[in-house]
Amino acid sequence: MSGNKGGDKPEQIDLTKLGLQQLQRVKMEFETEMNVFQESMQTLLKCKGKYATSKEALEQIKPDWENKEILVPLTGSMYVPGTLKNVDSFVIDIGTGYYVEKNLEDSKDYFKRKVDYVQEQIEKIDMLQMQKSQFLNAVHEVIEMKVAALQSKQQPT
Amino acid sequence: MDKDSAAIQKKLQAELEQFQAGQKDFSKLVQQRQILEGQLNENKCVLEELDLLKSENLVYKLYGPVLVKQDLQEARQNVGKRMEYIKKELKRCNDTLETLEKKQDKHRESLQKLQQQYQVAVAMK
Repeated sequence: MSGNKGGDKPEQIDLTKLGLQQLQRVKMEFETEMNVFQESMQTLLKCKGKYATSKEALEQIKPDWENKEILVPLTGSMYVPGTLKNVDSFVIDIGTGYYVEKNLEDSKDYFKRKVDYVQEQIEKIDMLQMQKSQFLNAVHEVIEMKVAALQSKQQPT
Repeated sequence: MDKDSAAIQKKLQAELEQFQAGQKDFSKLVQQRQILEGQLNENKCVLEELDLLKSENLVYKLYGPVLVKQDLQEARQNVGKRMEYIKKELKRCNDTLETLEKKQDKHRESLQKLQQQYQVAVAMK
């Protein structure tokens, strides 16, 4: 009765056995999931950028900058002169309102770890996204098949 | 027959409204769960970080705009406690989601039945 495509589906459920309505529901579910993935991806990329800039800023700082003169921004367009003290101590926001004082090496290490962690998450999501989109395509195909079958059935009457 | 189909239509309408209300609750709960999961994750990261620290590292907590020095051990405990709390909340959220899903499935079933009945009633006219 139907052109069964058999075993090339990425999951064990035989899509062709589902009703059209069920398929639509599955499709909707997957589409919302895909949206969530896309959003998380964007947030993750933004996060990674932030950590990376912090790390770059730290890499600029040299240990012999003690007593170096700097200009401290008070507003976007106004600066006051200052001197650097304690160049080997940084306070880092580690989340949920906790801040930790670390030396230069540990701080760099912290941001490196964070960048790596976020990258890991990005890759995970990338994988999931690919799998989901493959499955979504399969669902699309089956829906189209079903609709076509329905239409050809209706035409003679 | 006409009266019949009208009655069924009314039932259908009521059932549909209930189903839609359930669907709204459902998405609200899903959102809540997402927020909780995010918080749990953030706390997990913080705890991992705190566990990596040596005792000479200073820990501060942000209260409003000021940073207050904290005992490392205490900070660990606090984050741990908060994680427990969030986990509990998350579990509660998941449980209600499950029951709601079951309820929605029932609604879906009866909706389908009513739809069929309605079609039959209309066709019999």
